[in-house]
Amino acid sequence: MGLLSLGHLAFWGLGGYCSALLAIKLGWSFWGGLLAGGLLAALMAWLLGMLILKVRGHRFVIITIAFQLLVQLVAYNWISLTDGQNGLSGVPSPILTLPGIGTIDFFSKTNFYFLILFFCVVTVYVCYRMANSRVGRALVAIRENENLAESVGVSAFRYSMIAFVVGAFFAGLSGSLYAHYIRYISPDMFEFIHIVELLTMVLLGGRATILGPIVGAIIFSTLPEALRFLPNPFWGVSWAPEHLVMSKMLPAELQLMVFGLILLLGVLYIPEGIVPWVSRKWRKWRGISSATEAGSV
Amino acid sequence: MSENQTILEVEELTIRFGGLVAVNNVSFRQTEGEILSIIGPNGAGKTTIFNMMTGFYKPTAGHIRYRGRSTVGLPTYAVSELGIIRTFQKTMVFPKVTVREGVMMGLHKSSSVSWWDILWNSGRKKKEDQGLEGEADRLLEFTGLEEKAQMEARNLPYGEQRILEIAVGLAPKPDLLLLDEPASGMNAEESAAAMALIRKIRDMGITILLVEHNMSVVMDISDRIVVLDHGEKIAEGQPEAIQNDPEVIKAYLGEGFHRD
Repeated sequence: MGLLSLGHLAFWGLGGYCSALLAIKLGWSFWGGLLAGGLLAALMAWLLGMLILKVRGHRFVIITIAFQLLVQLVAYNWISLTDGQNGLSGVPSPILTLPGIGTIDFFSKTNFYFLILFFCVVTVYVCYRMANSRVGRALVAIRENENLAESVGVSAFRYSMIAFVVGAFFAGLSGSLYAHYIRYISPDMFEFIHIVELLTMVLLGGRATILGPIVGAIIFSTLPEALRFLPNPFWGVSWAPEHLVMSKMLPAELQLMVFGLILLLGVLYIPEGIVPWVSRKWRKWRGISSATEAGSV
Repeated sequence: MSENQTILEVEELTIRFGGLVAVNNVSFRQTEGEILSIIGPNGAGKTTIFNMMTGFYKPTAGHIRYRGRSTVGLPTYAVSELGIIRTFQKTMVFPKVTVREGVMMGLHKSSSVSWWDILWNSGRKKKEDQGLEGEADRLLEFTGLEEKAQMEARNLPYGEQRILEIAVGLAPKPDLLLLDEPASGMNAEESAAAMALIRKIRDMGITILLVEHNMSVVMDISDRIVVLDHGEKIAEGQPEAIQNDPEVIKAYLGEGFHRD
């Protein structure tokens, strides 16, 4: 719908705190906390949306940042509840009890991987269905031309709200999953770097698509690992600083530089993002002039 | 509903922007099934009246009643729910989607499937989608854009973008269609085709309110004409009478600047 929210980090953190606190203080199970985290994030998004969804452009972005900083300040200073900067440790791992089958413990990374994968699939499914419906069409209409959309009966406020609240709900779920995975929660969850990472993934993969952020996330998280296996150009070079000469493989600081360079080139040369770029090239190659972009929100 | 029933009443409509009175005490009525044109030189306040009718501006004073119901203060989408749909003077399409998808977006109000249907992609939703696609194709055929259905709207020639605007405007099934200079920027041939299309739309039973600054374009198709100059109504009547009205001639020849 063409609005950039930097506040979803706040919803992510809210979901995480809500779920972790319910588990630690009240002994709730992960599943109850997960749902509560999602719902609390959605509720907060609705309240915030009532105030700010009539605002567009830069002002909207700035207000969402302000909201995120506000939530972080609360997390730092409501010490009786959140233990401030220390954070809360001892967030339990999820356990799934299936009657008649037994229990699955998500303490192990592998099991947790499948848990997250499951929610990932659910999220993508919901987004896909929404995108290919009147809701998706309304959101694209608002993005393309808000005045015209309103004129044919699309309430920009209502549909922006739907997108905002649904987005916050999934951010809340994801925050809860994160808290129960790391098993510790602190105001660092609201650090701005997370939103930068998130945006990088989205922009790299291609915004306003469903596949884009997935591709972006995969590249963003696996590329640094892959770079570890690059050869070190300074290996054995006498004039280079000593700590760069030691290893046959690329040293960590150079890995980061290469990573940054790749991202930079990506944004410079494929500003639309990888997924739209590939699909455009593909269509060109197939000779289809202007097919539709499926699932474009 | 009989042909002579009033569909639109504009009463003593006034809007001020700071010290500027853009529309001053303008009143007119439109009957069901009529093509009424509002004409006047640039800056006469024609588009401003549309903006007040469709919730973009709030009038300083006066009333707008659609079938007896006031539209003042309603948000734009709610006005369209009443059955009033407008087009814009500056070309307004959904630029980066195909012509057919754009019309589908115009069909928003025809879609009523629930969240449940959407999430499970139920049979009801699939059936509705098929229905909407069929309706979009019918509209494209009606407006003669069927061969451009898969093109991105922004790649259409200018004249066809303006026709697409009308197709999108027809999608929500308006009872009253407000067309803001639909023929501006068209050559004589395109403009004649657009007017023929507008007549066809009227024959479907849709009432049309037209804004135009070029008098000759609307002479043939208008049942009645309202003439504005500097925000005030200076004449109203049948096209022949308007053409010979001394006040109108004065306004169009540019002598109207210091009328008082």
